[in-house]
Amino acid sequence: MPMCSMQKGTRKNERGLLLLVLACGVLLLGNIASAQIYLPKPPPEPSEYGKVILDNYSTAGPGAVVFDHWLHRSKFTCRLCHVDVGFAMQAKATGIRASTNREGFHCGACHDGKKLFDGKTIFAACSDAANDKQCDRCHSLGKKGARKYEYKEFTAKFPKGIYGVNWEAAERSGVIKPVDFVEGLSVKKAPMRSREDFSVKAGFSWVNPIAFSHEKHSIWNGCELCHPEIFPTAKKGTIRFSMFSNIEGRYCGACHGKVAFPLNNCQRCHPNAPLWAP
Amino acid sequence: MFKAKIMAVLLFMGLVGLCGVRAIGGPHWSASQADPAQEAWRKEFDDVCSKTQDAMTFSQEELTVLIRRCDDLLPQIEKLDETRKKVYMGRLRMCRGLYAYVLDAKRNEKK
Amino acid sequence: MNKKIFIALAVILVFCGQALSQTGTKKKRPLPYEYGRVIIDNYSDKADLAPVVFEHWIHRSKFTCRVCHVDVGFAMKAGATGIRAADNARGYYCGACHNGKMVAEGKTVFQSCSKKVTAEDAKRCERCHSFGKKVASDYDFFQFSQPLPKERFGNGLDWEKSEELGLIKPASFLDGVSIQRKSLTVQKDFALNPKVEGMPDIIFSHKKHTVWNGCELCHPEIFMGVKRGTVRYSMVDISEGKSCGVCHTTVAFPLADCQRCHSKPV
Repeated sequence: MPMCSMQKGTRKNERGLLLLVLACGVLLLGNIASAQIYLPKPPPEPSEYGKVILDNYSTAGPGAVVFDHWLHRSKFTCRLCHVDVGFAMQAKATGIRASTNREGFHCGACHDGKKLFDGKTIFAACSDAANDKQCDRCHSLGKKGARKYEYKEFTAKFPKGIYGVNWEAAERSGVIKPVDFVEGLSVKKAPMRSREDFSVKAGFSWVNPIAFSHEKHSIWNGCELCHPEIFPTAKKGTIRFSMFSNIEGRYCGACHGKVAFPLNNCQRCHPNAPLWAP
Repeated sequence: MFKAKIMAVLLFMGLVGLCGVRAIGGPHWSASQADPAQEAWRKEFDDVCSKTQDAMTFSQEELTVLIRRCDDLLPQIEKLDETRKKVYMGRLRMCRGLYAYVLDAKRNEKK
Repeated sequence: MNKKIFIALAVILVFCGQALSQTGTKKKRPLPYEYGRVIIDNYSDKADLAPVVFEHWIHRSKFTCRVCHVDVGFAMKAGATGIRAADNARGYYCGACHNGKMVAEGKTVFQSCSKKVTAEDAKRCERCHSFGKKVASDYDFFQFSQPLPKERFGNGLDWEKSEELGLIKPASFLDGVSIQRKSLTVQKDFALNPKVEGMPDIIFSHKKHTVWNGCELCHPEIFMGVKRGTVRYSMVDISEGKSCGVCHTTVAFPLADCQRCHSKPV
């Protein structure tokens, strides 16, 4: 008799447990759905990579802005826009407005109709004098032929890697010369010595350690793009980050997976890792 | 003793007024809070806390006296109306805090 | 069975934890005229008023930090002072200057909250209670900042140099509020070693800091260590608004300006 009741009890418990597991499963799915990504998404076509759709305030007016990183990064360092101009590194987080552009901030910091680049005047952003065709150069979502540059021709002569343009090689070979200083926008500061490269041990024994190069990173980013906001300290081992946080767009993922080479180019951070590329 | 101290304070304040000592430099701004200079607690507060800039030059004994004077002021300030209590409790906390901090530093130096 | 549940729960917890934390991203840099903006919303809502938008830039061009944060007694964290309309009406906090009587630069400083408010006063209320409203200010940042030397972050201005050049003259004394103080015996500057290979030492200038702050604004409430080297400061803490970060993440030049603190020539 006691045996029997015990069994009954266990069965009851089991049902309860089953429910719990189901509930957990639903929660888990919900979590994955809400965060969408817990595996690196396969990156899109290289021409689409680094594309940012900005529609804070423009959907009702001239339509959303399509910003392609490939065009701007071929001409400027990351630091120039994300430090000196002050763009955030998440789409829409900057809260760009037509008025801020007109005041000479954000896009308007360079696109003011006065600054020269390569001997050409940079067109003014959100100027009152602009006609629809001029607006469409940026507010180009869903408009064919509105843009001046196309990825394929633009990058035709750039060295390619396993995934799209190899930007590092492009600078080494001199095809691109990203500008790091714009008069009136940047302030020259005493240079700081670039710190030595180091390796970061991965959390799992079966993952190759990460070879991190300060030198490679500081060429385009300086110190202040990453420190202290993305990596609050320069001291090794004090912040824990994981592939999860990278996939979420934090730490390394603030750039890698959005603009800089994608996360499934394993080997570029974990040397000797198996090749897993599109 | 206390009376003498008050007299000294009054004399000092008078002298300051006579000499027309003003903060060095900068434009002059004047605010009007309900006749503050008339009250004894406020005079004592002004006197004790006017020396924060020189905290580092005082001896341990002098600092101890200043801290005690701050502590003596506390019950008087607690009796004030809500606003003044809030303002002056905060100011006294900072002023006493500094003296205690410097005293601590000096004791530490001697060790 | 139990093990499975445990794993499921652990996985969920890990994901939730991940989703909650928001570190490791690059935020928007505030525009020069937004830097140092404080939104004060203690009791405004209850009084059917918009929260107050306080601009540091205009006030810091006229007063030292100490006048407001020591003598007037404003806390260093938004909302921490607990300013009430009655406090202002009695002539404290905002009302210490904004009393409708004080004359400065040939203008009467407008009165902040008063005991009796009429319909005509609504405009005056809006001068401070302006959050989410388009209120014309007496001061235009662009006009104001035009003649001042520029820096790269924060308000985009070199405040120190502006004072050196006599372009701004922050008052350090407020009659009836401040106490007559003698000039300050300045402590020596010192260097701090960041203990990170390759990082230049931090040169801390007591002189530069005491000009506007005096002693008691920082000691002991922000910096309580009496012996150098006993308290460790980390960039993580500073980023979170502790120690140097109390001012240097909010009003004074921000942390991304590495070389302004890490300034010892290598």
